[in-house]
Amino acid sequence: MEHSGNYLDFVVRHLEQFLGYTSFSNFTWGHLIMICVGLFFIYLAIAKEYEPLLLVPIGFGIIVGNIPFKPGFQIGIYETGSVFNYLYFGVLQGIYPPLIFLGIGAMTDFSALISNPKLMLVGAAAQLGIFGAYAIALLLGFSPAEAGSIGIIGGADGPTAIFLSSKLAPDLLGAIAISAYSYMALVPVIQPPVMKLLTSNKERRIRMKPPRAVSKTEKIMFPIIGLLLTAFIVPSALSLLGMLFFGNLLKESTVTKRLADTAKGPLIDIVTILIGLTVGASTQATTFLTMKSVGIFALGAVSFVIATFGGVMFVKFLNLFLKEGNKMNPLIGNAGVSAVPDSARVSQVVGLQYDKTNHLLMHAMGPNVAGVIGSAVAAGILLGFLS
Amino acid sequence: MKFIFLTKKVLALQLLLWFSVTIAIAQSGSDLRINEILVENDSNFVDDFGQRNAWIEIFNSAYNKVNIAGMYLTNDPSNPTKYQIPKGDPVTVIPPRNYLVFYADKHPTRGILHLNFDLKDSKYLALYDVNGSSLIDEIRIPEIGADTSYGRALDGSNEWIILDKTTPKANNFTGVASSPGEEFLVYDPFGFGMALIAMMVVFSSLVFLYLIFKNTKRLYTINFKQLHRISMKQNSSEELPDLTGEVNAAIAMALYFYRNELHDHEAAVLTIKKVARTYSPWSSKIYGLRTYHK
Repeated sequence: MEHSGNYLDFVVRHLEQFLGYTSFSNFTWGHLIMICVGLFFIYLAIAKEYEPLLLVPIGFGIIVGNIPFKPGFQIGIYETGSVFNYLYFGVLQGIYPPLIFLGIGAMTDFSALISNPKLMLVGAAAQLGIFGAYAIALLLGFSPAEAGSIGIIGGADGPTAIFLSSKLAPDLLGAIAISAYSYMALVPVIQPPVMKLLTSNKERRIRMKPPRAVSKTEKIMFPIIGLLLTAFIVPSALSLLGMLFFGNLLKESTVTKRLADTAKGPLIDIVTILIGLTVGASTQATTFLTMKSVGIFALGAVSFVIATFGGVMFVKFLNLFLKEGNKMNPLIGNAGVSAVPDSARVSQVVGLQYDKTNHLLMHAMGPNVAGVIGSAVAAGILLGFLS
Repeated sequence: MKFIFLTKKVLALQLLLWFSVTIAIAQSGSDLRINEILVENDSNFVDDFGQRNAWIEIFNSAYNKVNIAGMYLTNDPSNPTKYQIPKGDPVTVIPPRNYLVFYADKHPTRGILHLNFDLKDSKYLALYDVNGSSLIDEIRIPEIGADTSYGRALDGSNEWIILDKTTPKANNFTGVASSPGEEFLVYDPFGFGMALIAMMVVFSSLVFLYLIFKNTKRLYTINFKQLHRISMKQNSSEELPDLTGEVNAAIAMALYFYRNELHDHEAAVLTIKKVARTYSPWSSKIYGLRTYHK
């Protein structure tokens, strides 16, 4: 009888212990909020098709990262030795972003930029968003390293934002990555009002000269010269720029098709899955739901607006010096933020609203890919100054 | 011709050697520095045996591990190989930007970190590479008081001073160091300076690219063969037409259609030809019958 009593006690004790391990007993409202955010991301990706390749892994990652659990079983992404912790290593050490840049390089056609090199300057001007957000973040009380990481959201480049924040402010990495990717997905919503506000009806109808044909040799020379010039000026951005231009050389050389195909295909897909899932999972409610995260989201939106402003206004400024017939349509200025190719697509869509035969996509691709280089250079500068 | 080929080979070999030497230097003991010494130890750092002796701190200024094993420490300029640091002990591997302390107590039997000389009357200290002849670092020891150390003002720097505090196995700089971020906060609280500098750097990088690729078009439209012919025959040259991408695309599409025999308007020729078909499987009797395997 005594034995059966002990047995019952044993069962009840273990049942209680088991219940203590379940998510229900470790649940907080923060977890529920974050799970809802994850579901919202998945909804945006599937129903609205906003950056589905990024938002589906991130959204699901948010859900995975916010399943409540009792710490100590090597489950969570911040617990040393857990599977997610191992996968997160690539984010924390800045390994994934350069690999993504390799794939981006292998996908990108720099012809539009080579044929009209003026567009590079537009890509540089749009980086104003980064430093505008940096200044505002300083005013709001963020430390310079945090402000730099937040500012890079304005570069509209997810991998660059992750790379820089992993070095300067690892604690804010989740919020910065989520903010960067969210606003990249929302480029078609954020940019058009700013573009319309800053341009006149006449300016929106400017037709640009068709780009000239670019020779194969020029395309091969571009990544080599591009790397030498930019990396010599900002060596701290070497891992991003090196991989970007290397990927592009694989593509343009045409003799390494297999390598280029792997870089722009399976490799970037694998890394995107890993980076998306782990960045999503890093947003555990306990570390993510803070006033700082709210501030980061607000500053992210501001940085996109400033970047769009910088790009559009710089084209208008350049037009002051260009002859009639050579003028540029300011609607391509927004594409200087490097959300490739979404911001270029926004230029095309807005341009078509005012002239159904004026296709700006190819012209906008120039500042768009220049923005990728510009944001990587900007990240290198911030890293060099603040680390 | 053979000579040129040989010269090229020698040049390639030299380049290879240069690279290997550079790599070797990058991972060798040349990054090690004598960083701090204490000569008279009355009430200072105690070794593993509870003894107070003179000590020498070596600093690895590199960002990779360096193994000090096999190198030599000496207090005698005429005898560079006075004490060889034994090989095969993991303690001799100095992590990046880290320190290793040797005890100058004339007791080499107490372990590999205990030297066979002391610094009592020494005016000189040097670290030699494993070959025993390449000098890595040396110092002249001034008069130093008891329990006071002589070291570099900042780890690895060239300036030697009497340090306020002895710092064996630690940073020589004991003041409050501000991070680059903190400095920016003090001198550039609103971020204007950062914005200005950074935008200038971003622009200059892309302006360089712009200038180069602005002129590449000119470079590619030069027909060198034709130029050569002109100089030889003084003939006038034909300039290559500047074709836009759209024109090229139109030509390519036309060629594509031509080669694939596609036309916007099909040739309006109908050919009616009677086909005499006397046999059709649909009317064949054998397809209407079930066949059995035998």
